[in-house]
Amino acid sequence: MTTNRRRVAVVGAIAALSVGALAACGGAGGSGGSSSSAAKGTLYYLTQTSAKPEHLDPQRVYIGRDITNLSRLVYRQLVTFPDSADKTAGVTPVPDLATNTGTSSNGAKTWQFTLKDGVKWQDGKAITCDDLKYGASRVFAQSVIPGGPNYLVAYLNIPTNKDGSSIYAGPYDKSAANQAGQAAFDKAVTCNGNTITYDFKKPWPDFPLAIAALHMMDPYRQDKDQGDKSNYSVFSDGPYELQGTWNQNTGGTFVRNPNYDAATDSTTVRKALPNKIVFQVTSDAETIADRLIADTGNDKNAVTDRSVPSSRFSQLNSDSVKSRLTSVSSPYIDYLQMNMKRLSNPLVRQALYEATSPQAWIDAGGGSKAYLPAHSIVNPVVHGYQPNPAFNAPLSGDAAKAKQLLQQAGVKTPYPINFMYEKTTTADKQAAALKSSWEQAGFKVTLTGIDADNYYSTIQKPSNNGDLYWAGWGADWPSAITVTPPLFDGRINLTKTSSQNDYGQYNSPAFNKLVDEAQNASTLDAQTTALQKADAQLGKDYAYVPLENQVFNLLHGSNVTNYLQTPSSNGYPDLGGINVK
Amino acid sequence: MFAYIVRRAVIGVALLIVMSLVTFILFFSGAFDPARNACGKVCSPAQIEQTSKALGYDKPILTQWGSFLAGIVVGRDYPLDKKVREENPDLVTHCAAPCLGYSMVNTDTVNNVLKSAIPISVSIALVAFVFWIIGGLLFGIIAAMTKGSFLDRGIVGLSLIFYAFPTFVVGSLLLRFVAIKWQIFALPVYVPLTQSPGLWFTNLILPAVTLALFYMAAYARMSRAFIIEASTEDYVRTAKAKGVKKVPLMFKHTLRAALTPLVTMAGLDLAILLGGAIITEDVFGFHGLGLLAVTSNSRQDLPTIVGIVLLLSTFVIIANIVVDILYAYIDPRVRLD
Amino acid sequence: MAISPTETEQRSEVGVVIAGETTAAKSPMRLAVDRFRHDKLSMASFVVVALLVIGAILAPILVKLGVLDYSTLHQDLIDNTNGGLPTGAHGGISASHPLGVVPGTGWDVLSRVWLGVSFSLAICLCATVVSVVIGAVLGIMSGYSRGALDWVIGRLVDLTLSFPQTLMLLALSAPIIAFFNSSLHLHGNLANAVYIIVVLGLFGWPSVARLVRGQVLSIREREFIDAARSIGASNSRIYFREILPNVWAPLLVQTTLLLPSYVSAEAALSFLGVGVQAPLPTLGNVLADATTWILGDPLYFWIPAVMIVVIVVSLNLLGDGLRDALDPKSGR
Repeated sequence: MTTNRRRVAVVGAIAALSVGALAACGGAGGSGGSSSSAAKGTLYYLTQTSAKPEHLDPQRVYIGRDITNLSRLVYRQLVTFPDSADKTAGVTPVPDLATNTGTSSNGAKTWQFTLKDGVKWQDGKAITCDDLKYGASRVFAQSVIPGGPNYLVAYLNIPTNKDGSSIYAGPYDKSAANQAGQAAFDKAVTCNGNTITYDFKKPWPDFPLAIAALHMMDPYRQDKDQGDKSNYSVFSDGPYELQGTWNQNTGGTFVRNPNYDAATDSTTVRKALPNKIVFQVTSDAETIADRLIADTGNDKNAVTDRSVPSSRFSQLNSDSVKSRLTSVSSPYIDYLQMNMKRLSNPLVRQALYEATSPQAWIDAGGGSKAYLPAHSIVNPVVHGYQPNPAFNAPLSGDAAKAKQLLQQAGVKTPYPINFMYEKTTTADKQAAALKSSWEQAGFKVTLTGIDADNYYSTIQKPSNNGDLYWAGWGADWPSAITVTPPLFDGRINLTKTSSQNDYGQYNSPAFNKLVDEAQNASTLDAQTTALQKADAQLGKDYAYVPLENQVFNLLHGSNVTNYLQTPSSNGYPDLGGINVK
Repeated sequence: MFAYIVRRAVIGVALLIVMSLVTFILFFSGAFDPARNACGKVCSPAQIEQTSKALGYDKPILTQWGSFLAGIVVGRDYPLDKKVREENPDLVTHCAAPCLGYSMVNTDTVNNVLKSAIPISVSIALVAFVFWIIGGLLFGIIAAMTKGSFLDRGIVGLSLIFYAFPTFVVGSLLLRFVAIKWQIFALPVYVPLTQSPGLWFTNLILPAVTLALFYMAAYARMSRAFIIEASTEDYVRTAKAKGVKKVPLMFKHTLRAALTPLVTMAGLDLAILLGGAIITEDVFGFHGLGLLAVTSNSRQDLPTIVGIVLLLSTFVIIANIVVDILYAYIDPRVRLD
Repeated sequence: MAISPTETEQRSEVGVVIAGETTAAKSPMRLAVDRFRHDKLSMASFVVVALLVIGAILAPILVKLGVLDYSTLHQDLIDNTNGGLPTGAHGGISASHPLGVVPGTGWDVLSRVWLGVSFSLAICLCATVVSVVIGAVLGIMSGYSRGALDWVIGRLVDLTLSFPQTLMLLALSAPIIAFFNSSLHLHGNLANAVYIIVVLGLFGWPSVARLVRGQVLSIREREFIDAARSIGASNSRIYFREILPNVWAPLLVQTTLLLPSYVSAEAALSFLGVGVQAPLPTLGNVLADATTWILGDPLYFWIPAVMIVVIVVSLNLLGDGLRDALDPKSGR
């Protein structure tokens, strides 16, 4: 029970570690050595029950691991990321179903893609522009198939109702009331032969990044659509297809798709080497680690998305295990968010920041093998990352300075604070470690651990009595526009009943102005500059404290070759190139 | 007897109806926020409201409960919005009576979700039951018959120790050492009985032993205590005085009295376990009702939780009736009235 | 415990058999104490339980005095490049940490286990008292009375027993603790502890009531009850003077199964993430954390594991000893 399950979904990118002993594991690449590319055998992919896929529907899937696995095996996208270990190339879109990476006009408000010839569904029928359009329309059917990324609702040029919801309710609602919505959608997304055109309300300069990182714009065959019932159906246009049905509790098997034509695809995206890929949902991360350390039977052909728990680190030191371990930093950042309403005194917030010992948190959770320190809420591999200038205290905190700041603030000490966090056995220890560091500096700390199922709904209630919240986030695509604005823009987050992702109820005109600047920028560079300033503003206000960047320590079996964890696979094993002996 | 069963069955059904109401109030009355959870990551209040409407969570709790009960009798069709169903016949999921609802998280009817989990829980429970009843009674009888000897003390001591180990510790030890480190058994994975009875059984050994050790220890202690107590009853002493030999005395006279309280417990324990051994299934990753309950809880899949609660309650209520009938059969002093 | 005349008559006969003629004049309670003291195992378990209780009472005092320290970090004693394992041999045993330190935090294991035992026993004792009192009273009333009362209690038992206990404990923890926070102003671990006491206590009584009722059902048919009824004894007299002494033994057996089973239940709930949370230790949350270190830091695992076994075993033995002493029919 030690998995930190985060509500956050996806991600953009990951970086190879290059620190200390980890460098031996060699960047994002792994072991494997020989680059035999002959197609062979069965690959097993192990994951744990509490992390089983929740959706296989392209318009609903929102978990980084599932997005890349589906991309590599069954769902081709208009544009996608190559399986490159390179930090830049790995997050630069390349054409997939489309002939190029898209052309924009009208200040990045209009985007156009043309489908390649010869791309087919698993039943041999050609993929058409209408399939693409139908796929996009499903994003709007939030009442029938909720749960997926819904950026399109905010961007696509369709009028909204007074309450901010779109007038278009998706393709399932054929009522008269929805006809205006359908007409608006048909106008915003148009087909001309094999060319599709999207018309947006506001500039979307990083649109290709967004659709390479998510499946929301994937084509969907209307005659295969059964709404919610299709959640676990897979209708493939990639190199594999699902054999039989997907079983949520045990997984499923993917075999070759006879109608896939490798000539329309690139081997930098999908080498599709194993003949068969078996997904196994099994007990927990501890057991998966134990199995892969033991390396027997089918587990020799196995990869996993589960990071080795810290209680197993001491077993990773033998050569036979070490050579099968790959460590890369995850696309997530864990951070503490201050409640701006309750900690209204900026000096108290600064004191709290100075007193925080990310080192104590890191050590209690497994130490330097498990986490890298973080210096911003933005992950280092996101475009335009820079360490936040406000966060330069020593890693183990500065209790003396914090004390002095509290004195300066003129508040009574010990100053009481209530820390809310998502409860796991490990997090309990980590929170207790932070408590020690804060209490040394003159705070009196109440720890409120809340179980995972209720955590976010609790801290989203504006009336909760927390002063400080733990949270984790990963970018939806490698742009800070999917990090700071969704987390700190009070205008989109704060309502009477919910703080949504802005748990600390931060709402700063200066910050909001910079967000507007970023959102209306028509070039990536202008957007990046504005977002860097926005992050600096958050630091100045001590709206959050960056804690750490989790490291994925993933083991694989001894028969696995060409093993790779790439930026495009969100740090997980990249099924685009992995093979088995 | 027949009238008794009918009366108990009627009461049982009434009890289930009350339970469903209590459960509904506990889970759907606002302590949880089911719509927020089904809606997704970036979700505006308007979207939450929309989701809530699509899933029927916007209706008053009694109305929801009413349609739930109606669904059990006549079945239901999903999505709930009739208009959407008529326009999109492809989307419709029919949930035949007795319909326990629709799980948004599993995108299937609760009935189907439960159906896939039941055989696994029942398998673990039955195999464990056989282990613990045989082991528990055997050790209990041996200990009682050799009361005071080293054998008795050994059995009592060991059963005390096994009774004391929490299930998750025993399960973790068996899994880490027997299955993974020493590889005496393969890592247990559920194999359906119909697919291979042999594999079904061998894969069930470790989880069943994990469960059974605790119960076996408790039953050995209890049966020993009950047998010793029964052996001081007048009629047993009379029989003994009349020269009935030790073994026939045990099986013909003493055991019958001693079994009475054990039947109550065994029946109820089995009924509860049929509904899933949460810890054991969690440790071994068996997707029975217990693990389903844990995952449904962590994903706030309220319809499934309510379905499991009611299913388990039905097991227990039926077991209660059976146990009372058995009780009267074994102990003639008890009348069914 | 008052013994009715009928009881004394029954008991003295057996008492003579066991303790010899000289004891014939002693009171039944005195006899029980004698029998208990003659049993070595009972006395041994009594000593262990007494030590546990004294230790449990001392623990919070020792924490106040600074002898036990369950929450100070010792990051210098762990290796943060190796998953946080203690740096020294055998889980970091040293003079200042006689049982080693906790991986990751360097907390003192002795302090955490000692105080954990204290908290666990306190919580589980409260829950047991809740269950046994409710269960015994309702069980006797239900088993003896005819008509509506039996029916109502019977249905209440059925209703409570019908709920899947572990699932309810798991699923209800969030909303009930939220209710404690908002309405009763119970916060943090106090709310967690009260939750465990209340739910274990309220879900645990039916097993007591059922067992008692089962016993009473056959006791009711016995002659001495008929006799009491025929001389016009009141219901409450029959409940508590005639029946209670006769269900005392099975009730005690059930209680001794209940208290340690709650200690185990607290541990199981900790494993599922419900209950008192670190830095405050309970035997359950220490053991749940330690279980993940079975292979990495075995000593850290075995200390709380052995401790829970010692507690549960000694409480059970004590209960057995009391039972044998109080109910001479089972005489040794």
